[in-house]
Amino acid sequence: MLDDPLALARLQFAFTAATHYMFVALTLGLAPYILFNQLTAVLKRDEARMRAVRFWGGLYVLNYAMGILSGLVMELQLALNWSGLSDMFGYAFGAPLAVETMGAFFIESTFLGLWIFGWDRMGRWAHWACFLVVTATAYASAYWVLVANGFLKWPSGFRIEDGTAVLDSPWALLGNPSTLMAFGHVATSALLVGAAVIAAVSASHLRRGHDPDRMFHRGIRHAVAILLVAVFPVVAVGGAQFILYGQEPPTSGMTYSAEEIAAIEADRSPAVEAVGRIGGDVVMMTSWLLITVVAATGAVVWLVRRLDRARWFHWVLIALPVLPYLASIGGWVFRETERQPWVVRHHLTTADAMTDLSPAMAVASFAFFTAAFTALAAVTVWLLVRFARRGPEGGPLAPAPAESDREGGEPVPARTL
Amino acid sequence: MELIPVLFITALLAGYFVLAGCDIGLGMLMPYLARTRGERRRAVSAAAPYFLGTEVWLVGAIGAVAGLFPGLKAAVVTDLWPVFAVLLAGWLLRDAGLWFRARAEAPSWHGLWDAAIVGGSWTVAVCWGLASGALLAGGSLASPFVPAVAAVVVVLFLLRGAAFGAERLVPPGSEADEAGEAGDALPAGRSPHTAVSADTAARLTRVLARAGLAVLAVAVPLGALSGALDGGRPLAAGAGAALVAVALAATAGTEGPGRSRHTSAVAMGVLVPAVGVGAAPPVEPVPGAVLTLVAVALAPVVPLMVVGQVALYRMVRRPAPATGFFARVAPVPAPAGTGALAGAARFRPTAVGGPQERESHGA
Repeated sequence: MLDDPLALARLQFAFTAATHYMFVALTLGLAPYILFNQLTAVLKRDEARMRAVRFWGGLYVLNYAMGILSGLVMELQLALNWSGLSDMFGYAFGAPLAVETMGAFFIESTFLGLWIFGWDRMGRWAHWACFLVVTATAYASAYWVLVANGFLKWPSGFRIEDGTAVLDSPWALLGNPSTLMAFGHVATSALLVGAAVIAAVSASHLRRGHDPDRMFHRGIRHAVAILLVAVFPVVAVGGAQFILYGQEPPTSGMTYSAEEIAAIEADRSPAVEAVGRIGGDVVMMTSWLLITVVAATGAVVWLVRRLDRARWFHWVLIALPVLPYLASIGGWVFRETERQPWVVRHHLTTADAMTDLSPAMAVASFAFFTAAFTALAAVTVWLLVRFARRGPEGGPLAPAPAESDREGGEPVPARTL
Repeated sequence: MELIPVLFITALLAGYFVLAGCDIGLGMLMPYLARTRGERRRAVSAAAPYFLGTEVWLVGAIGAVAGLFPGLKAAVVTDLWPVFAVLLAGWLLRDAGLWFRARAEAPSWHGLWDAAIVGGSWTVAVCWGLASGALLAGGSLASPFVPAVAAVVVVLFLLRGAAFGAERLVPPGSEADEAGEAGDALPAGRSPHTAVSADTAARLTRVLARAGLAVLAVAVPLGALSGALDGGRPLAAGAGAALVAVALAATAGTEGPGRSRHTSAVAMGVLVPAVGVGAAPPVEPVPGAVLTLVAVALAPVVPLMVVGQVALYRMVRRPAPATGFFARVAPVPAPAGTGALAGAARFRPTAVGGPQERESHGA
């Protein structure tokens, strides 16, 4: 395998995309929760709720870092390793990603910076509005990336001239059914990821009897509620995507004839298919089923008013985040392997989309980015767990302790950033 | 009609070099400017708030090039694969360093991530230098012109970092913070150290400007003689070099450090069009449908882009605080004799909306 640049490039992409998505999913899932919490805090002028916002926000910011780092690699990796895709579909695939980088990510990071550094430096509504922008652009980002990804699965809105795609209809791009359904599925599944993490953190503190300002009493209830609300829509929208299976995308036939398509598809590796179906679909569905069981149990425990005290259930919740993360990765594995051997269905195979990499380049790139991601992801997860367990005192966004002069015994204004 | 997207991308890239040059440059200079733990913490605290807001310019520029000028992207990025792959690695390490540094208290932890910040910053700067040189030399890394250009670019990054440090490493005690914060006056031993960093940086700007002129004096003849720019527009590149030389000369004199913030910005800003126009990379007209899609999708949010950036820079323009998300002090243990409750009452975070008058607490 070490002398097969294609296998290495594909594995690298799969690994970096999966890593990226894990952190993105928590970003998407946690943002609306923080937004809602901060809104309540601002409306009620409640300092205790703002401390909760600082706590969840601290975890959010920690998680966001790894999302950025992996996102940078995703963007450049496409340019470096997959130039064949750009040669043929540069405009159709690249234009939505261009909008994402400028119209969504640029604004999201800028306003997140404002939110972090502007704490107590701007009016409370302005501060909340910054996070409103962050949340909106996070979801906009997901949409635009899915426009590009949906195009790969269901290419439409272009014609082929001289072997390259010429965009005909931006509307077809934006309203692509594969995109829209995937967006709904991603949005609802991200809520499950966020809710599971909130539930786990809240349960771990309640289990130890540590509940400052009753934030975890609220957290566990919010989390169970979100789980119950999102768990059926996610499977409904996800299942709806099967409509497109077995159907030909509207542009089929422009590049290869039907016989050529059949020949190419007959060549696909059964191993990849198996990975997709078992590693992907089965893992995703099984995880979803288990999440439903936990959510239903949560509803019952809540009804009998044992949510704060049922320690056995706290342990279940602490383990819960594994499930939506497995489901998310499984879902992406399924989605991407199902499309193979195509990178753009019926137009461009994965092998043809790759840059002409020498084995040395492929090995070096794969080795470095795999090692770096493993290390950085491990550090991020370690930090997340550490700060989640520590609780609101001393979190990443907690107000900084004042400088050393505290022997005076007078109230020292806590110096925030 | 392709002029507008080209100008837009040039603006994004120039903005990146001018703005991110500050935090990259400061990261490169950290081992020289910041010797003690406190100084290093302050240096990271100075650079860190910027990088989140500055790197988005580059991400946007890459996205715009990939989407609007895929041919250009192939000619620049894919053809210079090793340079951009290493640049990405350096970028990754630097960002990780900045973000993770303050999350734990151990000196070894800080040392590890400081190394990542410094190493990553140098890697990024050198790679941009090599990329610029290779582009001007017609796409090949082999010409002796390339390392000369790389040296110029590296010096420009260092200069930008030094100019930034001269401003941002000034300790807050000597500026607007004196109102109401007198009780927080730093102990006598501390201020001179942190002020030294800012002074060192200021003096460094002159040295770097002169070094830059020296390197430029080598690079320009090399470019003319080696025929590197034959495929491009040598006059444009030469004009760019002349402008950079003027900016450097303005910084090289005795008044230089005071002006360095602006002259370093000019030098960085000129770099992008100088390389872009001088190298004459392939630029094809953007198809109408693509341009419409991108323009219509972006037009409503461009005001947000501008407002957000302006607000962010105004907010972080004040002198770097000693502590914050990117540079925390180890929490001081509560004074002996106070119970946890009393300590908590004393240590109430400021209310949302800004510091307010608080009633004195009874014992």
